[in-house]
Amino acid sequence: MKSINFGIDLGTTNSLITKYENGQVTIFKNPIGHKDTLASVVAFRPDRTLVGDKAREFLIKDPINIFANFKRRMGTDDKFYVVNLDENITPIELSTLVLKELKQFIYSGEQAEAAVITIPASFDTMQSNATKKAGLAAGFEEVVLLQEPIAASLAYFNAANQGEDKNGYWLVYDLGGGTFDIALMEIKDGEMKVIDHEGNNFLGGADFDFGMIEQIIVPYVNAHFEIENFEQELRSKNGKYEKLFYELIYKSEEAKKELSHQEQTILDFTLMVDGVAQDVMLSITRKQFEETITTRISETLRMLQDILQRNQIAASNIEEILLVGGSTYIPYVKNSLQSETQIAVNSGIDPTTAVAIGAAYYAANKYYQPKGTKLALGNNVDDLLNSLGRVEEEEDFDLDAVEMTPVQLKVSYSKMSKDVEEVLIIKAEGDLDRKTYRIIRSDGGFDTGFVPLKSKFTEFLPLLPNINNTFFLRVYDADQNEIRAAMEELSITHGQYNISGQPLPQDICIEVDDKDNHTTKLELIFEKNSILPQKKTLYREISKTIKQGSDDSIIINILEGDRFARPLSNLVIACIVISGKDLTSDLIKGSDIELQISMSDNRELHTEVYLVMTQQEFKNAFSISEKHVNVDRLKEQFIDLENEIRNSIKMFSVDDNDVWALQANDFLKELGQHKAELFKLQENDRTDTKYVIAEMLNRISKAYDKLGGEDRLERLRYEYFESKDFAENHLPMADFRKEELAQKYQKILGGEHHVLISRNPSILEKATEKLNDLGWDILWNTLSYLISRYEGFKALEPAHYTNYNGAQTIFKSADTALNGEKYYEFRQHVYNITHLLVHSDYKVKNDDFKGTGIG
Amino acid sequence: MSQNVQLINQVFEISQKIEQEQLSAKFERNFTKIYNLLEEEGLHCINPLGEKYTESRTDCEASIAGKANHNMKITKVIKPIVYKQENGQMVLIQKGIVIVE
Repeated sequence: MKSINFGIDLGTTNSLITKYENGQVTIFKNPIGHKDTLASVVAFRPDRTLVGDKAREFLIKDPINIFANFKRRMGTDDKFYVVNLDENITPIELSTLVLKELKQFIYSGEQAEAAVITIPASFDTMQSNATKKAGLAAGFEEVVLLQEPIAASLAYFNAANQGEDKNGYWLVYDLGGGTFDIALMEIKDGEMKVIDHEGNNFLGGADFDFGMIEQIIVPYVNAHFEIENFEQELRSKNGKYEKLFYELIYKSEEAKKELSHQEQTILDFTLMVDGVAQDVMLSITRKQFEETITTRISETLRMLQDILQRNQIAASNIEEILLVGGSTYIPYVKNSLQSETQIAVNSGIDPTTAVAIGAAYYAANKYYQPKGTKLALGNNVDDLLNSLGRVEEEEDFDLDAVEMTPVQLKVSYSKMSKDVEEVLIIKAEGDLDRKTYRIIRSDGGFDTGFVPLKSKFTEFLPLLPNINNTFFLRVYDADQNEIRAAMEELSITHGQYNISGQPLPQDICIEVDDKDNHTTKLELIFEKNSILPQKKTLYREISKTIKQGSDDSIIINILEGDRFARPLSNLVIACIVISGKDLTSDLIKGSDIELQISMSDNRELHTEVYLVMTQQEFKNAFSISEKHVNVDRLKEQFIDLENEIRNSIKMFSVDDNDVWALQANDFLKELGQHKAELFKLQENDRTDTKYVIAEMLNRISKAYDKLGGEDRLERLRYEYFESKDFAENHLPMADFRKEELAQKYQKILGGEHHVLISRNPSILEKATEKLNDLGWDILWNTLSYLISRYEGFKALEPAHYTNYNGAQTIFKSADTALNGEKYYEFRQHVYNITHLLVHSDYKVKNDDFKGTGIG
Repeated sequence: MSQNVQLINQVFEISQKIEQEQLSAKFERNFTKIYNLLEEEGLHCINPLGEKYTESRTDCEASIAGKANHNMKITKVIKPIVYKQENGQMVLIQKGIVIVE
């Protein structure tokens, strides 16, 4: 015996499928559009069958081939004539199609063999049997029926406290999109039953939307615009305002939803009056909306009173009213129920899914005997049959059918495409009679519906740009059961991986300022190995103010090389200098700059720079052979590199790394040879000197980066971790500015990944330096350290001070502060002493950093 | 509906209104930027206006005005189509609300 677990709310307007598992109920979403619900509508279009929301779209336009609300006809001998099929179809068959579509929602791939299907309390035996029949036809081996009010109650009670005693009378008030039902329930010793019910099959949310148009929008338009027969033109098929009508239906529904949360909303639309577009901004209050639904809600209240009277139960004897159906979200509904009946209203769970959830709870405790077990082939009989191209129909399957020729598909399509759609050619072999196929794109944006299978056919598959599009092609038998062996997964990559394109051999980066470190860094534009052509728009801020007419400039440097290396080690492939003289007004720091960079198949670089503040555009096209060198920037880079090498030499000497120190010293010497020459250069120099120096800088920078190879990087990483440990261990001990320091620490850690993967020693060195600075900062904010330093300062000889008398005065104040436990004051005194020392611990940083001007 | 989708809908509505006033050219850059930023967050907004409409398009919820036939076009977009890129896969998170003629 197996537990059923699957629950289905087979609704008049919408249906849902759920599953109970490990104490939880899952609502399976529609793979198309990811909604919880499936519209209970079937469309027989000329060349395909559609089930669900898509089918509903054609309801008004093609009513003879589209079927909705067939639930109301269940159990009747009504047959609907389908023009497009030239045959009759029964409500049971239509329900079967909806149920089969719901089965497709089960993304886990599991086969639902049995289900609990809910039915209205009003369903008689014929109607109930009809529902059961539809369930069996949909491929369920076992179908258990459950009344909707009971299902809803189960959902409510399971959500509430289990231990509570639920004996008594309850009302389930179900106001959906198109139907209304009310049921009186009794719970006695744990048994739940429907005592009486009432309903109206033509009362629901859709009526409220229409009411808003009819009673608010139309009168408003009539009062403000002179349009002849506006209402008629709006409501009639092919009327002048038919398009507006659909827009208003949608917007009224939105407004209705908004009015459930707020007191007022604005509904705006454009009205064409004598060829002139008029904007209408209609403010609608909740009260106005409520006035449009009062009559309909009163109708439901009357039914509620009737039911109580009929059963001679006083309202005071009703424990609670449980709300079901989307329209019960409307506050007026809840409030009217409460005020008119004085019964407590429970809206504790989602009213749209309550019935389906309750069905799953019920299904968890219902068992069935899987039929496949009789065949002693395990639970995979279905699979076996499916693989033979046939799905089991009845308990006694016959062997002839198993030997039927399975359907075989041969598909042909291009796996890569640059077009918006790709053609798929399919050849089908085998018994194709009454079989259908269906193709769905995995993101949910495309679905062919059920299309009759032919021996050869084509489908145009629409593609989403620049991504791998996956399609599932499935084949169904005459009863729309899937033939699983015939399933094909098709994958078409659109755009960027086009085989005709060539890959980029190096990263393409832009140089931007790294103000914290007084240097510049690289930001990736196009990654190595990405396929050309490429295009990207970057949005940055200007990092320094540039006065109109000044010589100061922004430099847009585009480089080719390794994105983790220092900018200087990369090759400049484009450089755009926008100086103050080019500007139409001052360019303020923080204003936006937009850079559109594209690289064509033949590696031609195009840039478009737009300065948002001055609204100026600069367009450039570069071929890679062209070079531009900015002298000011070159000087800055020179100093930067010189300082860095000099610092490294010091470090190498400390570490007794003589070989590295000697090599670095050679670099320094070579730089020195060009220094004087470079600093004589003017921007307008016509000679080749600047190129020669730029070339030399690039070469030394690369060589310096490689100096020491992996050993040096390892060592630097080790130093980084040491500094990190120090900061991390001392941070908890800080007594002042603790939060601020912790934030600083976190900020540094944020960039850790990039630091550690970098093959650029200077990035590692700078990160370590930052951590070291932070470490010192932490110490200088730790009381115990301050006290020990203070004692050290006091012990120093007068010669260590610039003003020893002044220091003496501070010592006294500091002692007083310390004795009085005024630690903040004490800290300040210690800081002041450091300023009087001959050799201050503090480094004064140079703030004259020019950079690129792009932050 | 996620906040991001609501935000997209607002931006889209603003762009529609601006277009109606024929001021689009003035704001084109701003809208491109907004949509670019959203794309960086993995949100792709598509305006299907003017595109062919078939019943296999499940990326839109359509109301059909006039006569239904094989050459229908999307003539009004009330809400745009929104896709979210997750783990290299696109997922439809909002169907376009459109009117088709």
